[in-house]
Amino acid sequence: MQYALLIYEDESIFGPGKSGPKLQQVVGRHIEFVKELGAKRVGGSGLKAASLATTVRTTRGKQTTHDGPFAETKEQLGGFYLIEAPDLDAAIAIAKKVPLLEDGAIEVRPVLGPG
Amino acid sequence: MSGAALERVFREASGRIVGALAARFRDLTLAEDAFSESCARALEDWSVEEVPADPVAWLYHVAARTALDALRRRHTHQRYESQLSAEFDMQPTPEDDDTVIPDERLRLIFICCHPAVSVDARAALTLRLVCGLPTLEIARAFLVSETTMAQRLTRAKVKIADAGIPFELPAVQFWPERLDSVLSTIEIAYAKAHEEAAASGPYAHFAAEMLELTRTLVQLMPGEAEPAALAATVRYAEARRPARVDDEGVMIPLSEQDPGRWQRSLIGEANQFLNRAVEIDPNPARVIQAQIHAAWSSRRSLEDPPPWPRVLALYDALLFRRDDPIVRLNRLVAVSEVHGAEAALTQLDSIDQELLRNFAPYYAVRADLLRRAGCGEAALKAYDEALATISSQAERKWLTRQKRLVQAPGSRCVPASSGHEEA
Repeated sequence: MQYALLIYEDESIFGPGKSGPKLQQVVGRHIEFVKELGAKRVGGSGLKAASLATTVRTTRGKQTTHDGPFAETKEQLGGFYLIEAPDLDAAIAIAKKVPLLEDGAIEVRPVLGPG
Repeated sequence: MSGAALERVFREASGRIVGALAARFRDLTLAEDAFSESCARALEDWSVEEVPADPVAWLYHVAARTALDALRRRHTHQRYESQLSAEFDMQPTPEDDDTVIPDERLRLIFICCHPAVSVDARAALTLRLVCGLPTLEIARAFLVSETTMAQRLTRAKVKIADAGIPFELPAVQFWPERLDSVLSTIEIAYAKAHEEAAASGPYAHFAAEMLELTRTLVQLMPGEAEPAALAATVRYAEARRPARVDDEGVMIPLSEQDPGRWQRSLIGEANQFLNRAVEIDPNPARVIQAQIHAAWSSRRSLEDPPPWPRVLALYDALLFRRDDPIVRLNRLVAVSEVHGAEAALTQLDSIDQELLRNFAPYYAVRADLLRRAGCGEAALKAYDEALATISSQAERKWLTRQKRLVQAPGSRCVPASSGHEEA
């Protein structure tokens, strides 16, 4: 089996523009954790702030693009794709193709990168 | 040059200069800061020296230098901080010709109106960067503090930069959604200007900016029907401004406005834009919406019968293309005039009430229909609901006046659909 570990934390501590000993400490602990996991870690990454998210929502077959993260309603997180795209438009275009059973939402969030 | 004249120059130059810099440096904040810096420099220099022959070119030149300097400083700083200087590849574009300003306003508009930017911020950002309006004025129009508006603008710029919103014009497959986002942003900005029926409202002064912006859009996208239709709609609506409230500040509904007070020159311009749109493509929803305005604007005096049958036919056509509760509601007003209030009330119940719950005109239309159908009690209740939702003073005064026309409660009420309260 593979498991996805989804990390939820208070963004006011780790979010964009944040720094300080607390954040540095947890980054250090993540590095340690990755070492400890070794081959058990298949992949993973930090994400950029929720405020940089864009959500593609499908309602009655109609797709609309919104600013902001997925706002919890009756849907639950059911999976994720990690994709490579040159810009947000390309990422949104791919998000629109993600198969959904009925109505639903795909949150498009930039991944923390080296750049 | 007077202070006001200078401000005018800065405003008009904003879209051109910020657009050109943003396209060149791929950085909105850098572009905006550099432009502000060049305006500040102009205020100093032009008070002692002569105003240059081409002030816009001067501003662009200074802004481009400022941006390049900022980039060099950033570059040096980053090289110092990280030791990746060899790999660091952030060369400013080699073209150093700052005399010709490329027209990148369309790109700038598409960036500001990207669907991934929040709806409110899109309109504000367009007014700020494309129209050059000061943050304080935009804040007033959106009824928020200057600080809140500044934060909203900053957040939008951060999103554009850090979420990877592209600085290119959208590719063919993204064009419909992106163009729609641009046009609906302008509609929202214009609605702000139009909401206040009296011309003295806090939004009224940027109605002029909307006329200018829509004209620019048509110039930049000559092959598209919808921008031309929107340019027409904004002009038809603006032409009616002098006739929208009476001397006591009460709203006058469209069908009772004196066409003699409408601004004919604006209607003439609107007709030209609409003809152009229809020639390109008569089918899009925005073209039909402009035709509804045109039908009203063809009325020359209150003696001419109101064009309700034509308006209803156009709403039928519009509903076919854009079936949403708001179009249905507006169509029902025409239905009630052509086929009677009872017929309209029956159809009102088929509209998704859930979607209209916070939509003030829904209650106003419903109240009016109930009153005319003789359902006094239900009408009074609907007027109260309308008054609880509507904030515009002119409209409140009108509703209060209409409410007084309601016949004694409990009087005849024919339609079965007249509200479940009475059933």
